[in-house]
Amino acid sequence: MYPRPLADDAPVRRFAYASMVVLILALWLVPLMAVMTTSLRSFEEVMAGNYWGWPKSFNFIENYMAVFTQTAMARYFLNSLIVTLPSVVGVLVLSTLTGYVLSRYRFRGANLMFALFVGGNFLPAQIMMIPVRDLMVSIGLYDTYYALIVFHVAFQTGFATLFMRNFIAALPDELFQAARAEGASPWQTLRHVVLPLIRPALAALAILTFTFVWNDYFWAIVLTQSDAVKPVTAGLNNLRGEWVSAWNLVAAATILVAIPPVVMFFLMQRHFIAGLTVGAVKG
Amino acid sequence: MTSVELINIEKHYGGFHALKDVNLTIAEGEFVVMVGPSGCGKSTLLKTIAGLETTSAGTLRIKGRDVTRLEPGDRGIAMVFQSYALYPHMTVAENMGFGLRMAKRPKAEIEAAVARAAKILRLEEQLEKKPKQLSGGQRQRVAIGRAITRSPDVFLFDEPLSNLDAALRTQMRVELSTLHAELGSTMIYVTHDQVEAMTMASRIVVLNRGSIEQVGAPLELYNNPDNVFVAGFLGAPRMNFVAGQVTEVSGSSARVVCAGGLEVGFEALVGKVSVGEAVTLGIRPERLRLDDAAARIRFTGSVRLTEYLGRETIVYVDAGPLVTTGSDSGTNVFTVQIADVRPFHNGSVVSLGFDPADAYLFAADGRTLTPPKAVAKI
Amino acid sequence: MSTFWRSHRYWIAPTLFIMPGALLFGVVIILASVETIWISFFDWDGVGAKQWVGLANYAQLLDDSQFYVSLKNNLIWLAMFMLAPPLGLALALLLNQPIRGMRVVKSLFFVPLVLASVTVGVVFTWVYDPTFGLLSLIFSSFGSTAPALLSDEHLVTFAVVVAALWPQVAFCLVLFLAGLNNLSEDLIGAGRVDGARGWPMLIHVILPQLREVSFIALAVTVIGALRSFDMVAVMTSGGPFGSSTVLAYQMYEQSIFSYRFGYGAAITTVLFVIMAVFIAWYLRTLLRPEREGI
Repeated sequence: MYPRPLADDAPVRRFAYASMVVLILALWLVPLMAVMTTSLRSFEEVMAGNYWGWPKSFNFIENYMAVFTQTAMARYFLNSLIVTLPSVVGVLVLSTLTGYVLSRYRFRGANLMFALFVGGNFLPAQIMMIPVRDLMVSIGLYDTYYALIVFHVAFQTGFATLFMRNFIAALPDELFQAARAEGASPWQTLRHVVLPLIRPALAALAILTFTFVWNDYFWAIVLTQSDAVKPVTAGLNNLRGEWVSAWNLVAAATILVAIPPVVMFFLMQRHFIAGLTVGAVKG
Repeated sequence: MTSVELINIEKHYGGFHALKDVNLTIAEGEFVVMVGPSGCGKSTLLKTIAGLETTSAGTLRIKGRDVTRLEPGDRGIAMVFQSYALYPHMTVAENMGFGLRMAKRPKAEIEAAVARAAKILRLEEQLEKKPKQLSGGQRQRVAIGRAITRSPDVFLFDEPLSNLDAALRTQMRVELSTLHAELGSTMIYVTHDQVEAMTMASRIVVLNRGSIEQVGAPLELYNNPDNVFVAGFLGAPRMNFVAGQVTEVSGSSARVVCAGGLEVGFEALVGKVSVGEAVTLGIRPERLRLDDAAARIRFTGSVRLTEYLGRETIVYVDAGPLVTTGSDSGTNVFTVQIADVRPFHNGSVVSLGFDPADAYLFAADGRTLTPPKAVAKI
Repeated sequence: MSTFWRSHRYWIAPTLFIMPGALLFGVVIILASVETIWISFFDWDGVGAKQWVGLANYAQLLDDSQFYVSLKNNLIWLAMFMLAPPLGLALALLLNQPIRGMRVVKSLFFVPLVLASVTVGVVFTWVYDPTFGLLSLIFSSFGSTAPALLSDEHLVTFAVVVAALWPQVAFCLVLFLAGLNNLSEDLIGAGRVDGARGWPMLIHVILPQLREVSFIALAVTVIGALRSFDMVAVMTSGGPFGSSTVLAYQMYEQSIFSYRFGYGAAITTVLFVIMAVFIAWYLRTLLRPEREGI
C-alpha cells in the first residue's frame, strides 16, 4: 500500500492523522452541511440572518412539508422520476445489446462505431441542441416526458456502450465458444450466458445512469417548459428565483434534489465507484 | 467407417498462413492426438473442426456430411476447453444440460442425459453445486460431462489437462483413456505434452508451422520419424543431433564424418545421398551407451552434469570437438539416459558409444535417410 | 425460411441487436451534431426559412467582443481545472490509509460528485453571498468586507470555477483512489527494498503505475472544463454584463433568447472544433490497445 499504512503502535500519529482528516472533511463538506442545517431553520431565523450558527429550532417537518405543499417541488420530483426510471431501463437494454455485439463480433466498421459511441458521449451538449430541439418539436414530443426520455436514452447509450463493451469483453472468451459449440444462438447466448454474468455491471450502470439523468440540467431547460413535465433540477432553479428570501425552503428543496443520487450512491457505493472507474479505465 | 475428413484445409489470418493444405482422415472410434510446438496451428485446426474458426479453403466432413459451412452447434461435435469454460452462474447439472436445453429438448430427456453422464464421471453428488465449489479435477469432469450429454459424433479436447497439477493430470489421463474405451467415440485431442500424446493416442498427428509433419501410431512415430522435426519433437530427453558430411557413397551405403573425426557407416539408406552432402546424425539418449566396449562407434567426453531421477540417470557429456545441435540443455553436449543409478563426478572422463543400427541419418532438407526400424506390435 | 434463418442468424442476430442503439445514437447524437455544423452556414431564427450566408456567421464571430470573453473564460476554466487532478491525487494519498471508518470518510468525500450541478451552483451561490454567505462570515471575522464575487466582472469566472472544481476534485479523487488500490504490492516492495520512500517512491514507483488513471483524470477534466454550462447558467446566467459566459452558454443564449440559431450553431461549432482535438486524443489512447490486440 502507498502511502505506507500508519503503524498500529503509534497512537499519537494515528490520532493526529485522524484529526487532520476529520478537519479537512469538515471543510470539504461545510457548504453542504450549512445548506442541510438551514433547511431545518425557521423562517424567522433566516430573516434574522442566522445562516451559519446552530439552528434555534428544528423545523424539519414544517420546512419539507412546505416544500411539498407550497411549491411545485413534489411535481418536479415526480417528473424527474418519470423521466429517469424509464431512461435507465432503456439505456440498460440498448447498451447491453450494443456492448455485446461490439465486444463479441468483429465486423467492418466496428471500431468506428465504437469510437462514435465513446466520442459522441464527450460532445458538448450544445452541438446537438438545435436539431434535437427541432426534432422534438416537429414530432410533437417537445415539452413532454418523452422528449427527455428519448434524448437521455440516446445520449447515455454512448457511455453505457463503452461500459458494457468493456465489461463483456473481459468475460472469458471460452465461455462464448462453449456456448457456440453447444449450439446456443446469439439470442440464447445473450439470455442464458451474458445476462446472468453481467448483473453487477447492470447494477453499476443503472445507478450511474440514474445519477447522470437525474442531475441533468441543460436538457431539462432546453426540452421542457411547463411545470407539468419539468424535472427537479430545472425546478429548483426556478424555485430559487421565486422564493428569494425563503432560504430555509430553498435549502430544503436543494437537499431534496440531492437525496436520490446520494442515497443511491451510499446504497451501492461499491458498484458506483467500480462503474465510474471501469467506464473510464479499460475493463 | 470414417468419422472426420479434412480435405485441403487452409486458414489465413490476414497475412499469416495458419494452416497449410491439411489433409487427414480419422476413423470412427479413433483417439487422435494433435501435438506440436506452440503456434504450430494445432488449436486452430481443432477450432476449425469445431466450427469456432472458419476455413479459408478446403472441405470438412463429419460422418460423411459436409459441415464446412455449418455452425458449431450443428456439426455433431462437443468440445472440452482448456479453461473448462463452465458457466459460473449455473449448477453442474445446468452446465451439463445446457446444450440440450438450447436445442429445446424435453426436460426428461435432458435429466436422463445429465444423470447418465454424471454416473459415468462419478459426479452424482456434485450436481447441485456451482463450479466455484468444485476442485480442479471435478471441474474438468463436469466439462467432459457437458460434452457427453450432447452424445456427439466427435469429442474435441483443447489441452484439457494443462490447468491441472501433475498428479491429477496423470489420473485424468487414465480416466480419459478409460472413458474412450467405454464410449468408443471418436476423440480429437490437442496437447503440447508429448507424454499425453504417447500414452493416450491411437494415432498422433504432429503439426509444425501449419502443416502436418507426420501421422501415425505413437511407437511408430517414436521409432520411425519421417523427418528430423518429428524425431526431435517426440521423446524426452530429446534426440542428440550431430552435424556431419557424406564422404563416401557406394550403392545404398554411405560413410558420414562428423567434427572431431567421428566416422559412422550407414547401410540400406532409403533416400539418395551424394558425396559432400551435409547431413544430420541422430541418436536417442537411451541408445547412447556409457563405458561399453562392445559399442561399435565410440568416442570420449567429460561429464558436465548428472541428474539422478531415481529409476534412471541422465548424464550430460561434453565430447570436445564433437558438438550436438539443438539440444535440450542449450549447450552442445550429449544427453545420455541410462536405466540405473551410478555415481558420476563432474569432469570425469567417460566413453560414449552407440550402434549405427540405432542411429538415424537425416538429409539436409530434414527427411529421414535411414531405413525403418522394427517396432514392437501392440 | 427456417434454414435461411439458421444459416444466416449468426450475422442477422448481431445486426438486429446493435440496430436500436446505433440508430438512436446515430440520429439523435451524431447526425444532430453534424446538422448543427450545417446550420452554422445559415441565417436562421429557428422558425422561418433558413438563408444561406456561407461563412458570415464565423466572420461575425471574429468581430464579436463577447465571443472573445467567452473564449478567454473557457481558457480560465481549462487552466483552473488543471488543479483538479493534482488535488484529487493529493486527497487520495491522504485518504489511502487502512484505518477503521476510513470507508465512510472516503464516501463522504465523494458526495459532491453525485450532486447535481444545479445543487452545487445553489450551494456556492449561497457561500459567496456578500451579506450572509460563508465568505462574508470569514471576511467579517477578520474585520473586512467580503467582495461580491458573483457581481464582480473580474472575479466572477474564478468564483464559478472554484465551485465547479468541488465535484471535479471528488471525481479525480475517486479515480486515484481506485488507482492506488490497484498498485502492484511487489513493485512497492521492490522499491522499499531498494530504499525508496516518500517523494522518490511517489515519482519513480507510484506515479508510473498511475499513468492510465492520470490520463483518464486529465482527459475527463479537460473535456469537463470545456463543456461547462450548468454552473454558469445557474450561478450567473453569464453575468454580470456577460463577463462570465463561456462558449457553451453564449451559444445557448444566442439561440434560445436571441433566436439567432445560425450564429449559435457557429459558436458551438467552434467549441466542438476545440474539443474535437481533445476527444480525438482521448479516443486514440483509449482505442490503441484494441488495435494492438488484433
